Amino acid sequence: MRQWELVVAESLRPAEGYVELRCEAPEAIETAPGQFFMLRAGEGPDTYLPRAFSWYRREDPRRVSFLFRVQGPGTAHLAALRPGDLVPATGPLGRGFPLPGRPVRAALLGGGVGVPPLWGLARALRAQGSEVLALVGARSRAHLVGVEDLRAEGAQVLVATDDGSTGYRGPLTDLLPADVDVLYACGPEGMLRRVQEISLAGGPEAYLALEAPMACGYGVCLGCVVERAEPDPALGEYGKYQRVCREGPVFAAGEVRF
Amino acid sequence: MIDLSASFAGLSLKNPVLTASGTFGYGREAAELYDLSLLGGVMVKGVSREPWSGNAPARVARAPGGMLNAIGLQNPGLTHFLEVDLPFLRRYEMAVVVNVVGHDVEGFVDVVRGVTGAPGVAAIELNISCPNVKDGLLFSQDPQSARRLVEAARQATDLPLIVKVSPNVTDPVELGLACREGGADALSAINTLVGIAIDPARRAPVLGNRTGGLSGPAVKPVGLRIVYDLAAQVGLPVVGMGGIETGRDALEYILAGARAIAVGTAVFRDPYAPPRIVRELEAELERYGFDSAAQAWAAANPQAREAVS
Repeated sequence: MRQWELVVAESLRPAEGYVELRCEAPEAIETAPGQFFMLRAGEGPDTYLPRAFSWYRREDPRRVSFLFRVQGPGTAHLAALRPGDLVPATGPLGRGFPLPGRPVRAALLGGGVGVPPLWGLARALRAQGSEVLALVGARSRAHLVGVEDLRAEGAQVLVATDDGSTGYRGPLTDLLPADVDVLYACGPEGMLRRVQEISLAGGPEAYLALEAPMACGYGVCLGCVVERAEPDPALGEYGKYQRVCREGPVFAAGEVRF
Repeated sequence: MIDLSASFAGLSLKNPVLTASGTFGYGREAAELYDLSLLGGVMVKGVSREPWSGNAPARVARAPGGMLNAIGLQNPGLTHFLEVDLPFLRRYEMAVVVNVVGHDVEGFVDVVRGVTGAPGVAAIELNISCPNVKDGLLFSQDPQSARRLVEAARQATDLPLIVKVSPNVTDPVELGLACREGGADALSAINTLVGIAIDPARRAPVLGNRTGGLSGPAVKPVGLRIVYDLAAQVGLPVVGMGGIETGRDALEYILAGARAIAVGTAVFRDPYAPPRIVRELEAELERYGFDSAAQAWAAANPQAREAVS
């Protein structure tokens, strides 16, 4: 974790309501898939707290990109940035996706704003010789992000939309094949819950990237907690919660209750 | 060379910049970023006798010019603090101020007694002003029960005793006077202001605790007012806090009567805020023609100061 003055290199509009902010860092930044950054998203009173974003495409260690949906004053501020503008950032933060360390068949599920962390994960898994199936969900065809970028990393991509305007109409988990070794998921709570259920009911091991309202992002505010599935009795009442920003954002399916 | 040191109430700080309780944990995370010895001290996250779980999420919400929180004093308890957290903090050359919380007088006193005599504790801050736990404001709402709690704590320790008073009362000065009567050495102010955030989609409050505490730049004028009144009318040294983001803010608090200041919510936006504010305060003191932080403090209201020093 460090503080960086990122400089906007390029601002792209990959889908309706989505922005990809490609930034240049003053030096190489090492990141693990699933880690995130806190970005300062404006100087006005409505954007006081920084906002958490997982990193997206990185071809170059001196570049880092963020893919997000514009939905409030913070993301609107970031969306309005132009090449050359500064983005103060703290990161990389949190515990990312654990990698199997051997070739496996992995299924990656990303719904909506949950797609970005899957790019780095797909790349890392492919580098270890794994087969990667990416299941990408969106409200509709116009809101779909990440499909081409994931394919470029060698992932097989299947798409589901809520309205059926492209791909399968229905929940992403319907597209899961039976023969995968490990599941990785990031996206809406309902989807994460289904992946957790599948895994805990004797399915493949699963890792869930969680989101939570967050103030600091580096572990001091205790704002972003989620319940531990099996609290350590030695910690007493204190063991009830864990921080999404430090102990997460990625948790094994059996580690969290939400 | 500006002299930043601050001495009051039995505390000796190399500079007047502390970190506010509940925004800094026990220093471990910030220590990954910078040397904690750059700070005057750390007011640690509230410590209770037993471990506390804190409130159900959601615990934070956005607010104009700041934020609302309802953490609920989640902490690992006295034993963990003494065995794990305090030894870590002692590695740094700065003052460790232990923020103490409890559900009742006995709960407070047991922690006060437990940290008294532990090597490396510079002072105790009695937290009678957390709005986010049941009974959190119990001792703030009635000056006489505040006095009795401070008396009981006073009997349990010879460490400097700072009482963190609430802004959520009709008259903070009356509360401060009661704490002084009970034997407090200093006051700290302000804690957060009780507020609420509503989520129209859920037609319900955003926070799991329903209400939360407002902090950040939005509360600075309230903090300055209360510190000003406490410093002038109670006759105890005051540690000022509430919306401090810059060295300029710190100087304003000192000129309002604070002997030291604490940086809180600012560390969420800028993790490096505390050491930055030390540097900026030095520059601001120079800019306004002061040789020392103590001189700035004394210059603001010499008459009120005589009673203290």
